[in-house]
Amino acid sequence: MSAKTLRHLIVVGLIVLWELLPRSGMIPELFLPSLSSTLLAGWNEAGEYGHALAVTIYEVAVSMAFACGGGILLGAIVGSLPRPRLLIMPMVSSLYAVPLVILYPVFTVWLGIGSESKIAFASIYGFLPTMLATAAGIQTIDPQLLLAARSMGATLGQRLVRVIIPAAIPTVLSGLRVGGALVIVGVVVSEMLISSAGIGYLISRYRTILDSPHVFAGVLLVLFMAIAFNTAIRWIERRAAIWQTGMRAGQNAADEIGSGAMQPAT
Amino acid sequence: MQATLTIKLARVAIVIAIFALWELLSRTGIVNPRLLPSASDTLATLDDLLQRASVRNDLMVTATEVLAAFALAVPFGALIGFLIAENRYFADVAKPLLFFAFSIPKSIFLPMFILVFGVGFAQKVGFGFFSTIFIVIMSTTTAVESVKVEHLTVARSYGATRAQTAFRVYLPSMLPVLLEALRISMIFNLTGVILAEMYASRDGIGHQIATWGENFQMKQLLAGVVMVAAIAMTFNELIRWVETRCSHWRT
Repeated sequence: MSAKTLRHLIVVGLIVLWELLPRSGMIPELFLPSLSSTLLAGWNEAGEYGHALAVTIYEVAVSMAFACGGGILLGAIVGSLPRPRLLIMPMVSSLYAVPLVILYPVFTVWLGIGSESKIAFASIYGFLPTMLATAAGIQTIDPQLLLAARSMGATLGQRLVRVIIPAAIPTVLSGLRVGGALVIVGVVVSEMLISSAGIGYLISRYRTILDSPHVFAGVLLVLFMAIAFNTAIRWIERRAAIWQTGMRAGQNAADEIGSGAMQPAT
Repeated sequence: MQATLTIKLARVAIVIAIFALWELLSRTGIVNPRLLPSASDTLATLDDLLQRASVRNDLMVTATEVLAAFALAVPFGALIGFLIAENRYFADVAKPLLFFAFSIPKSIFLPMFILVFGVGFAQKVGFGFFSTIFIVIMSTTTAVESVKVEHLTVARSYGATRAQTAFRVYLPSMLPVLLEALRISMIFNLTGVILAEMYASRDGIGHQIATWGENFQMKQLLAGVVMVAAIAMTFNELIRWVETRCSHWRT
C-alpha cells in the first residue's frame, strides 16, 4: 500500500471514528459530540454563526493589514541594512520569547472590549514573526544577482523592479503566511478571553453552558478559516512560482521559515 | 571585540530609552497616568508583588504546570519524532498529517480541554502538552535528518556499537538543533499554559494578570506583564547561551 493511500485511509478513519465513538458511547457526548450532531448544531444556528464569522473576518482583515504590512516593511528595512540588523534582530527574537497573551488585558483596559482591542492585540501577535521571517528572507537574496545587474549598468529603479522585488517575493509570501495564521489565532484567542462578539466569543459562551455540539461547530469554523487562508496563500505561491526561477537559495530559506520555527504559537 | 561591545551598549541604551519614554509619557501627563502608570511606579509595584506570598504561590503553580507539561511533551515528542525520521515509509505517511496538525491553531481546542479535564492542574498541563508536542516532533525529525549519512557509514564500517553511534555520532550532530528545539518548545509551552490560566483558572500567574486587567489595576497588571516577560526572556537567553557554547560541536 502506498503511503498516500494509507494517509487518506487514516484521515477517513479519524472522521469515521469521530462519528462512531461518541455514538456508541465510548466517549461521552459532552467531551466529543459526534460529527453529525456538531454539523447539525452549526446548521441550526447558521445565522448566529454567520454574523459572528463576519465580525471575526473583519477583525482578521484589519489586523492582517497592520501586522503583515508593518512586519514586511520593517523586516525588509532591517534585513537589508547590516547595522540595524546586528543591533535589533537579537532583541526582536528575544522579545519573541515573551508569551504575548499577557498583553491582551492591557489592551482591553486601554481600548475596551470591542473590535479595537482585538485588532491591536492580533496585529502585535502577528507582527514580530512576520518581521523576523521577512528580515531572514531578505538576507538570502543572492548578492551575485545584484552584482551582475549593477555591473551591466542597471539603474537603481531597474535593480529594484527586476532583481530585488522578484527575489523577495517568496520571502514576502512566507511572511504573509506566518503572519496571517498568527493573526487568525490572535483574533480568536482574544475573542475567547474577553469579548462580546465573534466566533471566539460564541465558543466561550457555549462552553460555559456546556453545549459541546455548538462549541465544536465554532471550532470547526475556525479550522476551516485557517485552512482556507493557508490554501489561498499556497495558491498565490504557486502562481508566483514563475518569479522563482534560479532562486533556489531564497526559496529554500522561505520554505524553512514557513514550515519551521515561526508557526502559530498555540 | 570593540564592535560587539558597542552593539551591546547600544542595545542597553535602547532598552533604557524605552523605559525613559514610558516614564516621561506618564509623568508629563501626555498619556493618562491612570491608564499608563509610570515605569518607576510599575517597577516599585513589581518589587512589592514579589514580596507577597500569594503572588509567589501563583508563580510556583505556573512553574510547576509549565515544567510538568514540558517534562511530558519533550521525551514523548522526541520519541515519536525519532521513530518517524528513522522509518521512511512511516515518515511518508505521517509527515503531511503532522505538518497539517502543526499549522492549525491549537488555542481553539482549549474549550475541549476544559470540558474533559475541568479547570484544574491537569487541564493546564494537558493543554501545555498539546501545544508543545507537535513542535517537538517536527524539530526532532529535522534534528535526526541533520545527521550526516557519511558519518554513520564511517562509524559502522569501523565497527561502532549502537551505544557508540548514539553518543558519538547522533548526539553531537543533533545537539544544536535539539537545543534550538527546546528553546522554541518552551516558548510554545509557556504561551499555552499562560493562555489556559487566563482563560479559566483558579490560580497561576496568568489568572492573576487576567484578574488585574478586569479590575483595572493597571500598576499590578503592567508589573505582572514585565515580570512574565522578564522570566521568559531570561530563560530564552540562557538556552541561547548554551547553544553558542555547544556550537563548536557542529560540523
